[in-house]
Amino acid sequence: MFEEMATARYYEERLQEEYLEGKQPAFDISAGPIPGELHLAAGQEAAAAGVCRHLRDDDTVTAPHRPHHVAIAKGVDLKRMTAEIFGRESGLSSGKGGHMHLFDPDAGFACSGIIAQGCPPAVGAGLAAKKRNEDSVAVAFLGEGAISQGAFLESLNLAAVQQLPVVFVIEDNDWAISMPKERVTDVADGSRRAGGFDMPGVRVDYDDATAVYDAAKEAVGRARAGNGPTLLEVQVHRRMGHFMGDPESYRPDEDVAAAEQRDSIERLADDLRSEGVEDDELEAIREEARERVDEAIEWAKEQPEPDPDAAYEDVFVNPPSGVTAQEPDHELAGGDD
Amino acid sequence: MSEQEQRAVERELTMSRAMVEAVAHEMREDEEVFYMGEDVADYGGIFDSTEGLLEEFGRDRIMDVPISETAYLGAAVGAAQEGMRPIAELMFVDFFGVAMDQIYNQMAKNTYMSGGAVNVPMVLTAAVGGTYNDAAQHSQTLYGTFAHLPGMKVVVPSTAYDAKGLMHNAIRDDDPVVYLFHKRLMGIGWMPAPDGPKTPVPEEEYTIPFGSADVKREGEDATVVTLGLHVHRALEAADALAEDGIDAEVIDLRTLVPLDTETIHESVAKTGRLVVVDEDYQSYGVTGEIIASVAEDGLADLEAVERVAVPDVPLPYARPMENEVVPDSEDIESAVRSAHDA
Amino acid sequence: MSGTDDRVAVAASGVWPEDVEDDETAVVVNWFAREGRRVEEGETICEIQIEKVSIDVPAPVTGELVAIERGEDAELTREDVLAYVAPG
Ligand SMILES: Cc1ncc(C[n+]2csc(CCOP(=O)(O)OP(=O)(O)O)c2C)c(N)n1
Repeated sequence: MFEEMATARYYEERLQEEYLEGKQPAFDISAGPIPGELHLAAGQEAAAAGVCRHLRDDDTVTAPHRPHHVAIAKGVDLKRMTAEIFGRESGLSSGKGGHMHLFDPDAGFACSGIIAQGCPPAVGAGLAAKKRNEDSVAVAFLGEGAISQGAFLESLNLAAVQQLPVVFVIEDNDWAISMPKERVTDVADGSRRAGGFDMPGVRVDYDDATAVYDAAKEAVGRARAGNGPTLLEVQVHRRMGHFMGDPESYRPDEDVAAAEQRDSIERLADDLRSEGVEDDELEAIREEARERVDEAIEWAKEQPEPDPDAAYEDVFVNPPSGVTAQEPDHELAGGDD
Repeated sequence: MSEQEQRAVERELTMSRAMVEAVAHEMREDEEVFYMGEDVADYGGIFDSTEGLLEEFGRDRIMDVPISETAYLGAAVGAAQEGMRPIAELMFVDFFGVAMDQIYNQMAKNTYMSGGAVNVPMVLTAAVGGTYNDAAQHSQTLYGTFAHLPGMKVVVPSTAYDAKGLMHNAIRDDDPVVYLFHKRLMGIGWMPAPDGPKTPVPEEEYTIPFGSADVKREGEDATVVTLGLHVHRALEAADALAEDGIDAEVIDLRTLVPLDTETIHESVAKTGRLVVVDEDYQSYGVTGEIIASVAEDGLADLEAVERVAVPDVPLPYARPMENEVVPDSEDIESAVRSAHDA
Repeated sequence: MSGTDDRVAVAASGVWPEDVEDDETAVVVNWFAREGRRVEEGETICEIQIEKVSIDVPAPVTGELVAIERGEDAELTREDVLAYVAPG
């Protein structure tokens, strides 16, 4: 876990640097090497790492608009993911998707920029596993803001009534852009939503990666054994703005300070030290993470940009012309014989 | 200069400030007007659509709501049917999908299904458009989708002056109005607008009636019909064409429903050449509709037709691909040239 | 135009956020008044961006906006003159 978390943190810090290049002193969202919105997940690593540790390649994960830490924990190809974020031809989606729309079928990973809309496809992956008698599971990650969305609540119900192997993971970072949790729901503990569907709901306190690991072990185990879905809520921190460029004027200083103070990575490091892991071992892991990330970013930036005409490809896997070519001749298709 | 003359050197506003001024005015005049949406209170709207309103009107009337578009857009429908005048904002028009039923089966149809017994005086505002690499789920305009489904008036301002007058009208209108503002035109610091949308705006209230297209540039040789961001791209193209002696007329539709076919037909009768430019998908959309309406009533006037729109692909992320599919002024220029030379 | 001596400088210093260094670079985003306009004290005449935050700059006095020194996209720091207003 420590490795995935250290990788994800450094990854977000490096992307922040790259993103802000060309956006100073005036912040222009369409300038610089990475254009468009960028939602970074620094402070949320524990949720992704603690859960994905229990997953196999044939398990499916869906993530929301803030996907990098989950993708890293699920083992998405870091180089091709980075190339995608830089809009390059060798990116996961050859530059068509960008940072909110990363797809790596080999790693069982996908994400969506529309709030809570990753939940129904995760239910579908669970449904496929159940129908095929396979023991793979599906995990849907979402923010606490997303738990007021119909797609999430409908998915809980469908997964519960069909006893599907799905785990829903709410990453509660207290904020949905500028809206604090208490303004948009009267239920501070999001895992209580589970009660309405008669499934287990578990909440994990701030920044405790080990506790996430334990809770997820049970939830994933339950799903894999065919005993149905679980809802987990993990309290995390948003250490950066909602998106890069967010002035965060709405956010109290104390809240920013609290996010900076509490650090799940440091906490895990402390836990590991107390178990006898040496400092230089941890530093070696961090160093390796930095090297891997730097290498991915350097590689991505060397990749060519896509050809403009590539925009016309991939709308269908069977392009309309292909379909027409196979259409049977009218006379032959006639029902005379 | 006299004091009065100095004051008349007009104040200019960005499109977002002009919209907000109209909303604030209507809220002062009418207690029944309120604004609901995600991040519209403290944030002031991600695209500045409600900047400063919380301070004046408080949380009861500038309401942050949960990320539950079906519930709050539907609640706007219900409150409107009770006689209030809600304004409900979809942060990006692309999110309409999660609340589509409330929009097109309830908001848009209740008047008709009730035989006129019920009306729905609400405004649905939404940010539209691309050009900043936000990819397929955050860059659409969907103009044609809303205009296609009966029962909604559809407004698309391109300048601050129009934005204010159209907003006054939208709030006062007794029917549901979908008010689509282009992010690139709002005048936000972090998404610089082209020259053009920032215009002089009178401090007093005024309305711009729906169904009155505006000729943004007069010309004799070709008619360019467009809306939103592409009004400015068409004007830029027209300037370039003028250097080669091609005199393009640029018509800003301002509203899609109702559609001002008269202004278009008059222009085509004069120029004989029609170029329709749209930032929505090409098929089954605005371009086809405009061309069909001219063909139906003025086929004899038509010597050449061109359309420039997003080819039928979702909006790609990477710059070279997005630039390829979103029409720019050069695309418009060459379409006008083809129509002119036809 | 009034004599240049009594012109009042418009600067961002009055609205500069406390937690931003004086020599941080801001950028002019929008002008809402043109030269020659009579502005009222307190009327927003331009908008600047500092560290991603947009800030409105008000006219310091009532009078005529006689000169814009920093147009849109120009950079400035805390004490730089954005424009001059001739009071009256
Ligand atoms: C259906 C829908 N509505 C609104 C948005 C705009 N939006 C993007 S992120 C976000 C906040 C999400 O908050 P949360 O789920 O808590 O996740 P976080 O951003 O805090 O990670 C909103 C409202 C969207 N993408 N999709």
